[in-house]
Amino acid sequence: MSKAPLASKLITLAEAAGRVPDGCRLALGGFAVYQKPMAFVRELIRQGRRDLTIIGSAHSFDVDMLAGAGCLKKVETSYVGLEKHGLARNYRRAVEGGRLKVVDYPEMACWDRFRANQDGFDFWPAKFLGGNDVVTYNDEIKEFPCPITGRRLHAFPAANPDVVVIHAIAADEQGNIVTPARRLLPQSGDVLMARSCEHVIVTAEKIVPKSFIKRHARFVELPSYRISAVVEVPWGAHPTPTLGRYLADDTHLDAYVAASASEGTFAGYLDDWVRRPADHFAYLDKLGAAQLSRLTDLGSLA
Amino acid sequence: MTAPATLNETLAVALARSFADREVGFTGLLTGAAAALFGTGIPLAAMELAKRMHAPNLTILLAGCYHNPDFSEIDRLPDSEHSAMLRDLPCESQMVDYPGQFVLKRGDVSFGFSSAVQVDRVGNINSVCVGPHDRPKVRLVGPILQPEHMTLFRREYVMMPHHDRRNFVEKVDYVSGVGYPGGLDGRRKLGLDWGGPCMVVTPKCLFDFDREAGHMKVRSIHCGVSRQELQDATGFDLGDLSSIPETEAPTAEELHILRRDVDPRGVLMPAQ
Repeated sequence: MSKAPLASKLITLAEAAGRVPDGCRLALGGFAVYQKPMAFVRELIRQGRRDLTIIGSAHSFDVDMLAGAGCLKKVETSYVGLEKHGLARNYRRAVEGGRLKVVDYPEMACWDRFRANQDGFDFWPAKFLGGNDVVTYNDEIKEFPCPITGRRLHAFPAANPDVVVIHAIAADEQGNIVTPARRLLPQSGDVLMARSCEHVIVTAEKIVPKSFIKRHARFVELPSYRISAVVEVPWGAHPTPTLGRYLADDTHLDAYVAASASEGTFAGYLDDWVRRPADHFAYLDKLGAAQLSRLTDLGSLA
Repeated sequence: MTAPATLNETLAVALARSFADREVGFTGLLTGAAAALFGTGIPLAAMELAKRMHAPNLTILLAGCYHNPDFSEIDRLPDSEHSAMLRDLPCESQMVDYPGQFVLKRGDVSFGFSSAVQVDRVGNINSVCVGPHDRPKVRLVGPILQPEHMTLFRREYVMMPHHDRRNFVEKVDYVSGVGYPGGLDGRRKLGLDWGGPCMVVTPKCLFDFDREAGHMKVRSIHCGVSRQELQDATGFDLGDLSSIPETEAPTAEELHILRRDVDPRGVLMPAQ
């Protein structure tokens, strides 16, 4: 008796980005300048996506690049900046020009919004928002009495993403995702986000065979049934780092920051690095093997 | 002969004296030379000094995640919070998830350090925007963890690398961290159980707070700064400064430990 073949969730980057429609509420994984699904971001720009709302915990080059390409309507997060690389200038121009709305949330509240979705709640309660302008400028945060004690609390809304996109080290074709033991906050945040939504797309450094998955079963925090689609995208977080694989490409990031000085110079960056390369592999070719090879992170072997 | 204390050393010592044994101190990783020094380097030096003086059981949370890190083998302050460098920095406990090791909302963190673009008389801080929120003159990075620092931590040190009228304002344009509007009673009415700023540290002076009345007051003025200069650099009235003392200098012992044991290679507080 022959067994039916396992269903493959492997699709192309173009197909994956095609699943994010204009106006989508899109959660982008990674944290601040770490492990951002940048290849996916570039593909959204190539496809000319518009009016996106980006939800997350802390953002950097992902939101800045999308803002510079005119893809965004709204951002709901705690931080948009480039850490040691300074301010996110495309983002600033868009917000200061009134073209991009920001809904500010405290950092832990950003995580809690995804915890709410994971627990199937429409809100998450907070005791610490009194007096903060996060409440003043957000009609969706409501005051309510604690049903047990009567104490006044704030309820802030769940993140409610339509689609979640994260970047991981390895996945199999069925969508089992490996999160290495040597992880930090950004990688754990990705796991949380991926458990908050029924439409999760994972870009992975490598599509691995089932035998690899079985050898790392205890690190498969996101099993296949949680995942809608996987895409093989080596160096898919570049120029941000992927922990255990490669470091941030500070040379490229410096060039990015210089280019973001004005709309004109940034349009040149987008032409050179996003629109002109036919796809992600053409982007990698343009970067060159020498440049990429300098970024290797050996991580910990034990 | 021992060189006299630098301003950085003086500030580190003033902070160190205010920490108690068994406390938990949280510092983020700020970037840019001035902010990194005030928001990260000086606080780390202060905590390391306190551990070697009166507070051996103090726990340091570097970048909020790395418990009691060992700086002995690094030659510069880390500048990336979740990078391979911090992953590999030896420490006693590494927080890799939220919620994690410290129970934030039960008040495990005794004190933290934050920096802001604006701070006002009641101790509110702002890192969100200058000008109207929907059409700001300058859009800043966002609230980050400031709302939590100013309410869920037991107390907060506001570290201001620049002391100028545009930073010290009558009223911040956006409250991303709450001070004492209406004093302690005001905080209670806002539903805040504990916390709030305890000190504001600047290159010109130290402020502490009249928490009942709900405003900051100059505690001491740094050596070489005139009262007039301090008032001129501040966007609100500081009141009568005539009896305010000079910021206390470190003792010989404090300076010795700071230079010999805490930061012998200038990793935490680079020489200027």
